[in-house]
Amino acid sequence: MAKWGMVIDLEKCTGCQACTAACAMENNRQPGENWQDVIYFTEGEYPSVQVKWFPRPCMHCENPSCVHVCPTRATYKTDEGFVLIDWDRCIGCKYCMIACPYGVRFYTDEKPLVGPDIKTVFKSNDEHSWNPPWKMPDSREDWKHGVGVQPRDVVSKCTFCYHRVSKAPKGTPDLSEHDPKTREYTPACVVACPPTARYFGDLDNPESEVSKMISNKNGVRLLDQLGNKPQVYYLTGVGGAVPSNRAIKKT
Amino acid sequence: MKLDILNTAISRRRFLQVSGVTGAAAAAGLGLEQVTGQVVTDAKATAAESKTVITKNVCNQCPARCGVDVYTTDGRVHAMYGSLESPISNGKLCPKGYLGAYILYDPDRFKGPMKRTNPKKGRDEDPKFVPISWDEALKTVADRLNALRDKGESHRFALLFGRGWGASDAGLLGTFGRVYGSPNAAIGHSSTCADASKKAKRLLDGNYDYNAYDYANTNYMLIFGASFLEAYRPYNNNLQVWGHIRTKSPKTKVTAVDVHWNTTISGADRALLIKPGTDGALALAIAHVILTEGLWDRNFVGDFKDAVNRFKVGEATLNPADFNEKWTKGLVEWWNAELKDRTPKWAAGITTIAERDIVTVARELATTKPAMVLFERGPTAHSNGVYNGMAIHALNALIGSMYAEGGLMNQMGVPYGKLPVSSDDFMDEYAKSDDRKQYPRIDLVGKDWLMASNQIQAIPAHHLAGKPYKLDTILFYMTAPIYSAPEARKWEEALQTMYVIDTSPFPGETAMFADLVLPDHTYLERLQDAPTYPFQGWPMATLRVPAVKPLYDTKVFGDTLIEIGKRIKGPMGEYYKALGSTENVIKHLAKGFEDKPGTNSVNSFESWKEKGVWYKKPYLWRQVRGEFYEWDGTGYNKPMKPEDVKAKLLKTKSGKFEFKSSYLEDEHYAEYVHEKTGVPLERVGFPQWVEPKFYGGGDLHFISPKVALQAEGRAGNLPHATTIAQPVVGGKKTIYDGDRVRIKSEVGRIEAIARHYEGVRPDTVILPNILGHWAQGRWARQNRLPTGSASEVIVNKSEPISGLASYYATKVTVERV
Repeated sequence: MAKWGMVIDLEKCTGCQACTAACAMENNRQPGENWQDVIYFTEGEYPSVQVKWFPRPCMHCENPSCVHVCPTRATYKTDEGFVLIDWDRCIGCKYCMIACPYGVRFYTDEKPLVGPDIKTVFKSNDEHSWNPPWKMPDSREDWKHGVGVQPRDVVSKCTFCYHRVSKAPKGTPDLSEHDPKTREYTPACVVACPPTARYFGDLDNPESEVSKMISNKNGVRLLDQLGNKPQVYYLTGVGGAVPSNRAIKKT
Repeated sequence: MKLDILNTAISRRRFLQVSGVTGAAAAAGLGLEQVTGQVVTDAKATAAESKTVITKNVCNQCPARCGVDVYTTDGRVHAMYGSLESPISNGKLCPKGYLGAYILYDPDRFKGPMKRTNPKKGRDEDPKFVPISWDEALKTVADRLNALRDKGESHRFALLFGRGWGASDAGLLGTFGRVYGSPNAAIGHSSTCADASKKAKRLLDGNYDYNAYDYANTNYMLIFGASFLEAYRPYNNNLQVWGHIRTKSPKTKVTAVDVHWNTTISGADRALLIKPGTDGALALAIAHVILTEGLWDRNFVGDFKDAVNRFKVGEATLNPADFNEKWTKGLVEWWNAELKDRTPKWAAGITTIAERDIVTVARELATTKPAMVLFERGPTAHSNGVYNGMAIHALNALIGSMYAEGGLMNQMGVPYGKLPVSSDDFMDEYAKSDDRKQYPRIDLVGKDWLMASNQIQAIPAHHLAGKPYKLDTILFYMTAPIYSAPEARKWEEALQTMYVIDTSPFPGETAMFADLVLPDHTYLERLQDAPTYPFQGWPMATLRVPAVKPLYDTKVFGDTLIEIGKRIKGPMGEYYKALGSTENVIKHLAKGFEDKPGTNSVNSFESWKEKGVWYKKPYLWRQVRGEFYEWDGTGYNKPMKPEDVKAKLLKTKSGKFEFKSSYLEDEHYAEYVHEKTGVPLERVGFPQWVEPKFYGGGDLHFISPKVALQAEGRAGNLPHATTIAQPVVGGKKTIYDGDRVRIKSEVGRIEAIARHYEGVRPDTVILPNILGHWAQGRWARQNRLPTGSASEVIVNKSEPISGLASYYATKVTVERV
């Protein structure tokens, strides 16, 4: 059984947000409710300014806070490492949104960032929260795994593109967008990333590219001290990574 | 995008992050057991998978020509990804590339041809459009054009275009004007784009074009105001290249020059925040250091005959005869006339860049091989833009990067097949008559503007003054100067007194003043060819294939033009009947591939449609250590004679890279340049420092850059584009974060929400030039801040040699409303 994980090489990331835009398209996200986001930070004063950007999907934690707090077990972790939401079980209590240290969850009643509300422009007549004309094929909707146009009154989040990745042939170590054989199984943000800053593969397979990169380039996990053990690793450059609190404690 | 929206987006995220962390601690405190949750196996049973069809298209969001795979299932376009078969895309797209379906399904699209019923025109006047048939619409245009011809006034018809794609749309325009008999069909938008870059290159190396670049093999990049990681085309490929060059061995080092902290500056190893309009001074000082320290590329440039470097500060009497120049011309004269005094200390005083940084950059640039220097509107959209551009481009010769591996090239053309008929055979007596030749272009290019290609920004004033005459009918294709040209509001005045035809598929500022709307298809509905913009040199032609049938009663613009042509009396009508349709045109273009099959085997219309692209590698020429070679089928092995180099590559009078431009010194132009720029006649040919002029009467430089999500002319009504956070808005002296402010110059004022941002020079304010659309549709209308485009406050002054609008030469004041 694969344990899917992602590596993001921050040295290659250009902050362009193709990941964000492709995710929004692939997963029918509403404007600004980006399952995958790139967050910009500015520090310092002119002329000693730093502008940084940080790409952030769901971390698909090994030890996910969201799963712990979900009262209905709508949020769950699969054997292959996906953290998903069963929209048939979600009651929209938002405990998971509070529990998640990474801020990657979205509820349907959030105010639109721009008006007019796109949900009223492309109105849904059924349980979906809206009905975009560019929505994914009907056959792809899979509420047990949180895939589809988000229904009303539920929480949603990045699925690691479960609908693509779960179809990959068993035993595949890496899902590369450059290889036509694995491209269609690769998460949208990885397919999209122009500088190829994103890699996706089996963290449990020592032969996978992601395992090697994490080892060779000292991959780190975001807010590692919280113990969530993300399955998304960041590479921070040739200068060596800042050690995590957990690593310091162990030695 | 709207400034207050950006703040909302950021604060919302912060809320989630902050509350998220607190929540995690609280949850842990509850002492919950490890919960692994359930594994769901009973996925919603689905009907048989529908068939998904992938069609080839070409992105419409910038001029780059990225190949797109469009995914359509059950007649619904739901996804687009970069095409693996496209050498630009390589399976990738930039963030704009994913907006295509939103554009196709934009609820505000025009649904078919319409005519205006409200004779009054203005920002707040509803045009009261009523739908009409295509027959009526086309006949209306043809009747007007026939009537103008009958009166001998065909010059009073103008056709303005911007983003033309290929032979099946923009390529048809010039012919239309010729057989019809109007010098104003067509006038392009290039003088509001980047003509000064092309002109600077024309003056030095003889090629009036943007360059192709071998980024993948370069080890050093010096970027002047080109927004490499935001907008410089092909943006998508630049991003791909960035991932490669920043992790290859050795890593490519990057120095970026700009006036604000954009992503390019942030990503670069060294940021040089330069005073607007002074890039030329920096480039000249870099050249000065390269010469005084003896770092120039001797293989390409040559050397002093005795190999002793005589370039010493202030030394002004060097003898050109003491220097053996190889592929350049005029180096010593340039030194004597200009470079000798262009010390880093001198440049530091002008540019505000530290002397030490200038020296360091010069040394790095000249000692890292291969290296390249690129530039675009940052340095050139100023009153001294061409001379700035020349100073910058001259560095590419000094470091030997012209036509070298990891350097610069020129784009080769595509061997298209011939059209089925030649327009020469359909010119009637009217079109050929001397009477026609007496009318200059409405923009006075060739008269007042001796050296410019276009002067679209001059049209409203000329029309309003009736000098040289008044226009009667104007048709717009893929350009909206009413939003984007300097002193944009002048267009609102001018368009009130013309019959205006808009061809955009969407509502917009032009349509608000239109009398007739002939809506184009959106790009996912079009069959359309598009040869590449300068990319990697070898020829390439891409093709759009419709993913779906047109959703509405629209017509691809090429067919609209052909159908109008068919309705013009006389031989012109016969010509367009023989031409038939754009599909017929494209099929004839593809015949050119039959005996020149592409590297990807494309050799017919059908195979072109299947792959979406024809291209033929490799680039045919290369300069290696000062010798030029031509590709012989296996490698760059065939030595080139100087006359071959002159014919194919360095197309100047001398066949050399000219530091003393023979083109500028030509008697037709020298006097003009002297008169317009004040540069002494004997100096006009040299790349040199010319003091920039600033207009508008304010105290802050007003810069309106392009940002990454600036979807071609349409982002204003795409909520998905406007809500993706983008860096770089606002400026230092914007009073308080979140304040509503007025930005004003002598020619106009707009209001916007200020955002304080430390990454902007304190003497500068930034407003991305995509903001402020006021008539694009429901989202653009509801989020109307800024109240207008940056162009409304930009003074309409143009650089005299290229005609490029000096977009960044206006100074404004910013005050709280």
